[in-house]
Amino acid sequence: MAANFDQLSAREIAAGVANGDFTAVEVARAALDAVEARDGEVKAFLQVSADLALAAAEATDRARAAGERLGPLAGVPVAFKDNMHLVGTRTTCASRMLENYESTFTATCVQRLLDAGATPVGKTNMDEFAFGSSTESSAFHPTANPWDVARVPGGSSGGSAAAVAAGEVTVSLGSDTGGSIRQPASLCGVVGLKPTYGAVSRYGVVAFGSSLDQVGPFGRRVEDVALAMNALTAGGRDPWDSTSQPVACDFAAHLDDPIEGRRVGVVPALMEAAGLTDEVRDAVSAAARALADQGAELVEVDLPNIASAIAAYYVIAPCEAFSNLARFDGVRYGYQEPGQATLAEQTSLSRAHGFGEEAKRRQMLGAYLLSSGVYDTYYYPAQQVRTLITADYARAYEKCDVILMPAAPRTAFKFGELSDPTQMYASDMFTISNNIAGNGGVSVPLGLGAATGLPVSAQLQGPAFADARLLTFARAIERSFSPDGGAPVAPAFAGKGGELA
Amino acid sequence: MPLTREDVAGIADYARIALTPEELDEMTAYMNDAVALLDPIRQYDLEGVEPTFHPIGDLSNVMTDDVPDDEVRHLPVDVALENAGASRDRSFRVPSILGDQGGDR
Repeated sequence: MAANFDQLSAREIAAGVANGDFTAVEVARAALDAVEARDGEVKAFLQVSADLALAAAEATDRARAAGERLGPLAGVPVAFKDNMHLVGTRTTCASRMLENYESTFTATCVQRLLDAGATPVGKTNMDEFAFGSSTESSAFHPTANPWDVARVPGGSSGGSAAAVAAGEVTVSLGSDTGGSIRQPASLCGVVGLKPTYGAVSRYGVVAFGSSLDQVGPFGRRVEDVALAMNALTAGGRDPWDSTSQPVACDFAAHLDDPIEGRRVGVVPALMEAAGLTDEVRDAVSAAARALADQGAELVEVDLPNIASAIAAYYVIAPCEAFSNLARFDGVRYGYQEPGQATLAEQTSLSRAHGFGEEAKRRQMLGAYLLSSGVYDTYYYPAQQVRTLITADYARAYEKCDVILMPAAPRTAFKFGELSDPTQMYASDMFTISNNIAGNGGVSVPLGLGAATGLPVSAQLQGPAFADARLLTFARAIERSFSPDGGAPVAPAFAGKGGELA
Repeated sequence: MPLTREDVAGIADYARIALTPEELDEMTAYMNDAVALLDPIRQYDLEGVEPTFHPIGDLSNVMTDDVPDDEVRHLPVDVALENAGASRDRSFRVPSILGDQGGDR
């Protein structure tokens, strides 16, 4: 059969490999060919792991030939954010600090996709150490939004979102500390799930904010994201991550459950938020109507303290980042400034020259906020405000099953357009409160905005460990807005390379 | 009261990030902008509100017997050293810690 792999879902690829319609190696070659043809412009990848991809695909084909049962992601091309360790690749966090760092072990999230039969195509670009919302702070190169290459893909998991939007891979993984999966998914027009904190192991993922970070998948279809979640969680809790929780559930089993009679919360204050553009507001309102048309009941809920979520986040996250990034001292790994007489000078200059501007800013802010006296003014009160935000959500979920809101206030912006760092922080105004509370959230494409013609999205948020429910509602939106069963590959890249032999 | 250039230089020293004079000016402006963004935190009456340091409330340390277990994965010394900027034999190599042994690195 002659087809482009970028038109196939993860389930179709795995079934095609299992049935012998095509081999995993043919799919791997198609994905590598698509990367070759498309990534010169998109620049989603920092490394393409062709050898690993072909070796994994050959192993999948051998397993089939031996009559073994194949995994649910057999032959599915996947990509990993470059803060995830995979032996045989460097893990750079898009930083000069780790430019030459060879992975010494493989992250649990990566291993579980490989165990499910996936083919590792490469490591994707990101904001340096995940500090950012545009992927512009990568030390190596920017990544283009496949829907308009003059614009950013969002961030910090911008490479993972762009690789899926351009059809270079079927599924990718990102990490989300304040919106770093959901915001780039929105800007690139793909599905992006931040699961509940603890649902996916963080072992082998370079830490940013340890009480906030969570790994999750991108895909063009809700079902692809559900299958990736099954692979990420099927192994049970990970003994190597003390915060890992058991999530026994089939994420794909309830996608088409009816939503009739179930309640969708809408927060009126968020729909009037300053900075929210008309086209995004209108699209999210249309999503609410679509859910109501399928029988859901819309209820108004209030989250009175989430207006303070950005402030609480920019206390908690920089403090945790400063603590986590203290390990980069130029001794055990990372950039080491040559020719220094003392350890203190070597450390200060290694950090000065290894880290980029935003990584230095965040650590400086964290160092200040954790200093004596200042701690009581900001850090401790921010953790008290976190209690209030968490309680707001708990009250809201007494009245509704999920909450519907925008994922990002606007569509993709141009390179350099948000040059003021504190202005960039507002990009996460709709996503950040969910990380503070630890709950799950998902971005779902709503087609193209009426004003800009660029992807717009809705976000669904849910209570802790209700991520399968989020995907049921996400699928309901997908039924209304994506009649072809999923979001399209960005038209400028669809079908360029990637033909299945 | 805004942070001064001297305040920020002290923080940079504590954070072990060497800043040039120009970077120190930019960082001072940024730090004051960022701290202003945090102001909503100070507007609350938080009397009696418990802090939430972690989204999972009942975490506790994982304790095991203090005996070597070869079943448990560990990083072999040669692998642990392969990303180091400088090493000697089975050790990471660093310059003088006190600054008085400049010749012997």
